[in-house]
Amino acid sequence: MNRKLLGFILLSFVFSLQSFAQKAVRGKVSAADDGVALPGVSVTLKGTNKGTQTGPEGDFTIEVPENSTLIFRSIGFETKEIDVKGPILNVSLKSESKQLSEVVVIGFGTQKRADLTGNVAQVKGADIADVPVANFTQAIQGRASGVMVEGQSGKVGGGIKLRIRGAGSISASNEPLYVVDGIPINTDVNTSGGVTGNALSDLNFDDVESFDILKDASAAAIYGSRGANGVVIITTKKGKSGKTNFSLDMQYGDNKPTNHREFFNAEQYVNYFLAAAENGAKYYWNRQNDLALNDEYTSEQEVVDDWVSAMKGRLRRYSGYSDYTTLQTNTDWESLAYNDKAHNATINLSASGGNEKSKFYTSGSYVKQDGILIGNNLERYTGRINFDNQASKIVSFGFNLGLSGSKTRRVQEDNEFSTPMQIVALSPITPVRNQNGDLYDTPTTTYYNPLIDYEDGSYYSRAFRNLGNAYAKIDFAKNLFFRSEFGVDLLNLNDDQYYGRLTQTGKSINGYGENNYLKSFNYNTNNYFNYHALLGSKHDIEGTLGMSYQHSRTDQNYVIGQDFPVDDLKKLASAGTITGGSSSTSEYAFLSYFLRGNYKFNDKYLLSVSGRVDGSSRFGNNNRYGFFPAVAAGWIMSNENFLKNNTTLSFLKLKGSYGLTGNADGIGNFPQLGLYTGAKYAKVSDLAPYQLANPDLKWEKSAQVDVGLEYGFINNRIYGEVDYYNKKTTDLLYSVPVPGTSGFSSIYTNIGSMKNYGVEFTLNTQNLVGKFRWSTSFNASYNRNEITKLDGINTIIPGNDGRYLNSLIVGEPIGVFYGPKYAGADPQNGDALYYKNDGSLTNDYNEAGDFVVGNPNPKWIGGMTNTFSYKGFELSVLLQGVSGNKIMNGAGGFMSANADWFDNQTVDQLNSWKKPGDVTEVPEARWNWSGSIPNGLGASNRYISDGSYLRFKTVNLGYSLPKSVASKLHVDRVRLYFVGQNLFTITNYDGWDPEVNTDYRVTGTNANRNQGSDFYSAPQIKSFTFGINLGF
Amino acid sequence: MRINIKHILLAGLVAVSATSCDKDLDILPEQYLDESQALASDANVKKVLHGAYNALSSSYLLGGDAQLYSELLAADGEIRWVGTFSQPREIYGKNILTTNSYVRDTWLNAYNTINICNNVLGAIDKVATADQNRVKGEASFIRGLVYFELVEYFAKPYSAGGAGTDLGVPILLTGTTEISEESKVKRNTIEETYNQAISDLTAAESLLPVTNDVYATKTACAAILSRVYLQIGKYNEALQASNRAIGYNSKIVLTDTYEEAFNNSENSSEDIFAIQVNEQDGANDMQLFFSIPDYGGRDGDVEVTDKHLALYEDDDARLALFYEGSGAIRSGKWKLQYKNLPIIRLAEMYLTRAECNARLTSSIGDTPQNDLDKIRDRVGLTSIPATLDNIVKERKLELALEGQTIHDAKRMKKSVDGLPYDSNKLVFPIPQREMDANSNLIQNPGYGG
Repeated sequence: MNRKLLGFILLSFVFSLQSFAQKAVRGKVSAADDGVALPGVSVTLKGTNKGTQTGPEGDFTIEVPENSTLIFRSIGFETKEIDVKGPILNVSLKSESKQLSEVVVIGFGTQKRADLTGNVAQVKGADIADVPVANFTQAIQGRASGVMVEGQSGKVGGGIKLRIRGAGSISASNEPLYVVDGIPINTDVNTSGGVTGNALSDLNFDDVESFDILKDASAAAIYGSRGANGVVIITTKKGKSGKTNFSLDMQYGDNKPTNHREFFNAEQYVNYFLAAAENGAKYYWNRQNDLALNDEYTSEQEVVDDWVSAMKGRLRRYSGYSDYTTLQTNTDWESLAYNDKAHNATINLSASGGNEKSKFYTSGSYVKQDGILIGNNLERYTGRINFDNQASKIVSFGFNLGLSGSKTRRVQEDNEFSTPMQIVALSPITPVRNQNGDLYDTPTTTYYNPLIDYEDGSYYSRAFRNLGNAYAKIDFAKNLFFRSEFGVDLLNLNDDQYYGRLTQTGKSINGYGENNYLKSFNYNTNNYFNYHALLGSKHDIEGTLGMSYQHSRTDQNYVIGQDFPVDDLKKLASAGTITGGSSSTSEYAFLSYFLRGNYKFNDKYLLSVSGRVDGSSRFGNNNRYGFFPAVAAGWIMSNENFLKNNTTLSFLKLKGSYGLTGNADGIGNFPQLGLYTGAKYAKVSDLAPYQLANPDLKWEKSAQVDVGLEYGFINNRIYGEVDYYNKKTTDLLYSVPVPGTSGFSSIYTNIGSMKNYGVEFTLNTQNLVGKFRWSTSFNASYNRNEITKLDGINTIIPGNDGRYLNSLIVGEPIGVFYGPKYAGADPQNGDALYYKNDGSLTNDYNEAGDFVVGNPNPKWIGGMTNTFSYKGFELSVLLQGVSGNKIMNGAGGFMSANADWFDNQTVDQLNSWKKPGDVTEVPEARWNWSGSIPNGLGASNRYISDGSYLRFKTVNLGYSLPKSVASKLHVDRVRLYFVGQNLFTITNYDGWDPEVNTDYRVTGTNANRNQGSDFYSAPQIKSFTFGINLGF
Repeated sequence: MRINIKHILLAGLVAVSATSCDKDLDILPEQYLDESQALASDANVKKVLHGAYNALSSSYLLGGDAQLYSELLAADGEIRWVGTFSQPREIYGKNILTTNSYVRDTWLNAYNTINICNNVLGAIDKVATADQNRVKGEASFIRGLVYFELVEYFAKPYSAGGAGTDLGVPILLTGTTEISEESKVKRNTIEETYNQAISDLTAAESLLPVTNDVYATKTACAAILSRVYLQIGKYNEALQASNRAIGYNSKIVLTDTYEEAFNNSENSSEDIFAIQVNEQDGANDMQLFFSIPDYGGRDGDVEVTDKHLALYEDDDARLALFYEGSGAIRSGKWKLQYKNLPIIRLAEMYLTRAECNARLTSSIGDTPQNDLDKIRDRVGLTSIPATLDNIVKERKLELALEGQTIHDAKRMKKSVDGLPYDSNKLVFPIPQREMDANSNLIQNPGYGG
């Protein structure tokens, strides 16, 4: 041992001795802005786990070695590291401007928000973790600007629409691309025939770190042909090195409908319909006379007697064993459609941790959601393991694996007699059951009694989803890495339906069984290089170059059978006759190459350029590949000298982008080919024309301009962004109606164009900081959609189908209501009146003119979250709303039809015209026994009402036990909370709930057009949920 | 670990293997056949021809709706539509909207069927020589039949006198391969449309065999031709055609009882042509709407009234076929589910022959009296004089609720439901979607056209 070495050892020993000398440090932590003391600030010794927390007055004491550094951390404040110099240490913490340092996920990488030139909205998983819904899209509603979320109805497991900056296409998909941990997932299988399901509800969003929504072209262009409707990037949680943290969350609550509607009671029903029979008879008689039509009747009284007697016969029939004349029965059918014991329950357990080399996150969850409707509920189990390993300095790898299994009991679509809500059509004079206790069916009930399906039928969807991906990353140099990802999205759906002997489906055939099975295998690989370097002190460059390939194959089959020995045996194994079966397959693939470069100069000037080449199997060889470039630039003005020292304006960035994206989804997998399909007749197979060829079919293209300004005031306590965008979609993939005389009704063609332009505002403020904290997060977006070209010949494609008026009109938003304009009841005679094109009035629906009578697209959407916290309490209130849209009740001609037929009527029909001089919107009630005298039932704006609403979407009140109490319970954290969802809604909408679009109209080529339609759609779910969250 | 050649190779390999998937973009559907192959061979063309029957059997066409419309338009208090579906209700109320989706789908399915026939006729040279006549005959039969159905509903009655100038429906005789300006066809006249139906059916009759399983035969062509001629008042031609239809095939005979002519899974002995229905394919909308849930029907949407029942004599076996269910009288012809839907029965041929012989005071084939007696005898009724009125009344009862009522009313200029036989309200509108897609079409009077 030489002397030098000995000296070194000795020296080290001395140092280490010194470092063991402990010193007490005391101090106080306060807020930099207002000097208020900060309790609960974590104080830790750097490089160790040792630490403490500040007391109620912001005071702390800690034993530290000499020359050590303390770290002060508190939510909402910038973390501060301070070297310990003496025994007293007073610290002031600056409130955090987390917006700027926040990292957003972009395609194939991440970026600091301050450096972002594109438009990306982010919702943190933590912000929505408590929301008691099964599908994350519902939870992010109102939380991101430019993102419209709309549930079809309150059915559990039903579809939810998400639109980023409006609808971009007429016939192709308007849904964004969803990417989970780098893998584009299948979302369109829920619309494939026979099998239902919502592919997005398979994700346990407690596992999600962030949702990043790419809205403008420069952000989305890296996804090229998949990006025209925006991209939602979902990143799941990763482990952190250190102690293994467990988190247990349990929720339980009640689900209720948001609203009830009022229908006639028995007395109103009987009186109204008897009067309607007399009115109808008189009208019929007078009309026959006026038109000089011969008829079997000889006097008005004869008609009246005949019709009233027929009506009484019907009333007798509908009242079953009971006596309608004494109003013996008064059934509130609507209440029977609801499950009054509907609950929701969630258990979620997760663990995360790791060391320097390996990190993990794992979780398991169970969710149960009872729908508000009878026979509608969902149970879901999920599990996840995310693992990352740094194998060496150069190589790292990892995987994310999410499994989910769910079982949903479904109800039929809104236009089926057997769907629970259609029960409201039944007459209040009809008893639910006969004297033997059996449910009444037709002919005693006016229509099929949906309770029979509930009691004697079953419809279960079981889904199994495996979302997994593995990656390897090679760091060739400090600045250069290569990453390869391979992901699989495996989806199995199995629909099992059985309708027993009492149901309308199974009645005449001794039971009906149906089983649909779908398997979708979707794999994807991404391979890319990334280079990031600081050249000199001012040039920051980053480049990404790579490729990806996606292949998806879906196999489906079904079997149908009938004649079951007993209703207990519901599987097709017991079917006496197999009456149907089929198998089918569909496939598609995308091959893509992409490139992106980001350049930042002196933290002031930003430039981003990207391009992607996409090839798709969905297009013919003539137009198989498309190129999608984008460019964006930003100027961080607050880093310029003239603003640098401005104390009020803390951040200012001007940015702009322009780019092309494409759309090739929602058009089937073989839209370009001329095809025949197999069919059968007389038990012999045959060939039938399926579609015409269009070998020139190509991408729908969307060009988008975005100009934005990001601003921050007072140390970014006020922080926000304003953006203007204008998105023009051309070469629309449009299923153009063709003359039916050709033997076809439509063909996919690249024709037509559409634009969306709008403004988005976000504003985040920390109104109060300190002990009592109040922050506000506000977003509002205006969007105007406009069709600029249809097939090049027609400027109007009317859509009046007898129930709805959604049409396509150049110069108007997609799906505007176009048709007859209602003018109320004629004060003279009670006839429903409509405007003719010249403005005069007519009582003949066929003579009515056509007008734009409403727009189903909201003008404004928005949300505002106010968060208040004091000590352990935190209250956050999300208000969410839409404005400027109209909704059409397609069932108006049944339920608000002035007693045209026997459907029970909404109470507003009591206000029908009764005598000359009456001014009312409701025409004279005339029972339409002859079928020839409808009065005001045609689709018109009589059945349109305002769909604007403002809703207390989520109210979350929580209390965290003080650490001292928690530690006595041997846990790190205990939080008790209450969440109220859809507690209260302010709206003028006539129907159940203004957040609606009936499920039976949202498939097929008119799905995008068919907006704002209500048809016995269930109201949304209002829930009251209590939860507890434990960390240990 | 240092970066070495291994890592670079690995990265390179992944990149290269990934880029070689271009050919994977060539994906062809597994359950669809490219159009180029569909008409390329004898076997395929025959399968396409079979598809024309399938199209013809659509519920919106001869799978029931075409028959239902006739009965609803001519309801005249003898039946009532009490169902909730607004489309049939509009037809029953003679208050049809141009947007009526049933009317639209009947139009679309009719032209789909015609297009298939045109494709088959255009590819006839691909068919084995020995089978060419039969294939051509079947395609022509179906096309002629569909043009006849179209002109009956979408044009004024022939009997109204303006057939040479009033509009019928567009006539297309070649298959569609692409959509162009030429796809925007104009309507032909009523006369031209009838002539097309007659020429198709006449050609088919000469080409087809006497027996041909459940498909078109000489008998079927002659039988439909007799209907067409009767509709345009050419009684001599109708007489000849009905007489040929009776004579071609001695195996086609009246069933022993009236009841046996209906609710059959296999064609009855008197079915000249019927839509084949079973659990897996074929449609029978007459059963769907006339029957009740106990028998797999809807809600008993069509009720038969006492006014209709009063037309029968007490002993009439046809009266006994009506039954009571779900609170009303129902037609027993359309009682059971998954049963064939007769399109034309031998009984009609006897009645047509009798009517024409009576009108022309001839006895071609047989005397009107003998023909009438045959029909009455089967249902247990005694002979009555074979006057034109008696024959026409017998026809109404024999063919009741089988889809002939409005057509017979129109040709005999009878008013229905208080409306004159040539009322615009008894003619369908050209569907709005078709008016929108084809600016060359002219709407029927009374529909804003």
